[in-house]
Amino acid sequence: MTGQERPRLVVRMKIARMAVKMTAILAILVVFVFPDYWVIVTSLDTPAQVVLVPPLLVPQGHWHNYVAAWLAAPWVRYFANTFFIAGLTTLSVLVTSTLAGFAFGVLRFRGRSFLFSAVLSMMMIPLTVLLIPDYLILKDIHWLNTYWAQIVPFGASVFGIFLLRQFFLTVPQDLIDAADIDGSSQWRFIWQICVPMARPVLTTIGIYTFMASWDAFLWPYIMTSSPSVQPIEVGLARFFGGAGVSTEWTVLAAAVMFTTLPIIVLFLFFQRQFIAGASSTSAGVKG
Amino acid sequence: MVTILSRYMERRARINESIPRFHGIRNNRYALVYLLPMAAVFLVFTIIPTLFVGVISLFHWNVLSPALSQFVGLKNYQDLLQSPVFWHSLLISLLFVLGTVPTTVFIAVAIAVLLMDNLPLRGLVRTGVFSPYITPVVATSIIWIWMLNPQFGLINSLLHAAHLPAVQWLESPHWALLGVILFTLWHNMGFDVIIFMAGLTSLSSELGEAAKVDGASSAQRFVYVTWPLLSPTTFFVTIITTIGSLQAFTQFFTMTQGGPLGATTTASYLVYEMGFLFFHEGFASAIAVVMFLIIALLTIVQWKMSERRVHYQ
Repeated sequence: MTGQERPRLVVRMKIARMAVKMTAILAILVVFVFPDYWVIVTSLDTPAQVVLVPPLLVPQGHWHNYVAAWLAAPWVRYFANTFFIAGLTTLSVLVTSTLAGFAFGVLRFRGRSFLFSAVLSMMMIPLTVLLIPDYLILKDIHWLNTYWAQIVPFGASVFGIFLLRQFFLTVPQDLIDAADIDGSSQWRFIWQICVPMARPVLTTIGIYTFMASWDAFLWPYIMTSSPSVQPIEVGLARFFGGAGVSTEWTVLAAAVMFTTLPIIVLFLFFQRQFIAGASSTSAGVKG
Repeated sequence: MVTILSRYMERRARINESIPRFHGIRNNRYALVYLLPMAAVFLVFTIIPTLFVGVISLFHWNVLSPALSQFVGLKNYQDLLQSPVFWHSLLISLLFVLGTVPTTVFIAVAIAVLLMDNLPLRGLVRTGVFSPYITPVVATSIIWIWMLNPQFGLINSLLHAAHLPAVQWLESPHWALLGVILFTLWHNMGFDVIIFMAGLTSLSSELGEAAKVDGASSAQRFVYVTWPLLSPTTFFVTIITTIGSLQAFTQFFTMTQGGPLGATTTASYLVYEMGFLFFHEGFASAIAVVMFLIIALLTIVQWKMSERRVHYQ
């Protein structure tokens, strides 16, 4: 009899443990996802519903908030600016990282390790430190309040150079020999043979650069002053600040929703690469 | 001196010998040309400005006409050391680091360990935890301002439901920093969870299996096997979150503007305030130099530790 009971006890303990874990995991999911759900609910309330205590937990369908928010600021302009800035920054990072990654990974030249350490040491310099001197430099070259001030300073990335150097280190000698026999130029070798192979790495670098560019606030806030060149997050902060004390939270929530939607769509499309990118930062530093 | 010089010459000669001319794909003649685009960006917008900020910190900088700026030596640094505002901002930065870093490490490890199990919904939860990290700080911090609203906010409703007193959150000097810390934990946790999951995946399961055979409980296996083996990852996460927290700006700007009464004015925020609201460029640059030194020190410690680790592995 005891012989039958023991395994049953083990099974029961397993089920109990599983239940505890599932509860924990669901609690975690709720904590992290609820604020996003909450903004959807808020964006669909009327101003009278939003201040109810206790709050309504189910979306109410007051879509007019979206119309009101959309008409209250030049969002099309902000979106266009953001796509232009983030797109060009991403392109620039991919090109500069590929070229530097090729040089560091495939070529051997004097000062290679010194230069590579120098690139890595750029990571030590925080944006806060660069704010004042870069502002003065951009002012001197008349780049304040332009797209260029938001693109060129971010046109090279330590993370990108690092990952592409790692990639180019793994390009097999056989491939290089084959290209040599073909009489391929370096330029063709990089762009037509290596770049297609490096697509996963390039995608990771690309989406992170795009996301960081979209997220940028402090830099464009300081370096630009007119909505004609400002990106979406600055526009949103301006909309938030402009509404002042009498902020209509429902309308604001609608603006938060539609300004964030493109980034969420991007995330859902490239989820695997996003997570691979986060993992590779630690793997990279581990050497 | 002479020995150093001769050793240097010897080394250079060796390097010159060891790097022959290559042909074809490995032709190294134009190596520097490939590096030029990124080098130009870093030189103009990172390296020169870093040196420049040091120079500005030695001046009484005149924003309107820089030519009229006055060289004042180390006076800005003297002012800094005697400025209660500066020390207070360092204290706030420290409190922010203490409020975000250990909590992030422990919660992220716990979530990562939980997600390593083959539970249902595992992928969905991973996506959910990571999603705040990819959403912009301005947008998400606005959601939190609303959730932390003392009158109508969701969090005070929860406190009320639990029969706890309402908190003034961002409007109170005592609670504002905690509010920003809660937002920051929520926003950045997913990134660290992923890093810990990568760390856990890379651990060999052999030791854990051996401990299991020896009759160790799962708690014991975690404390005596997994946690020690995970220490390189833990150290890495600790350093990068510390650096991230020291640099944090946007959530302070949207949520509290450094207030109320300077209760959330961190050193980073003070650089912005002094430089762009009060136009004390020299003083602000001196703070920036101090920040740079702190962050550089942390980065170097991180590198040294990871180098040592590689040797032992």
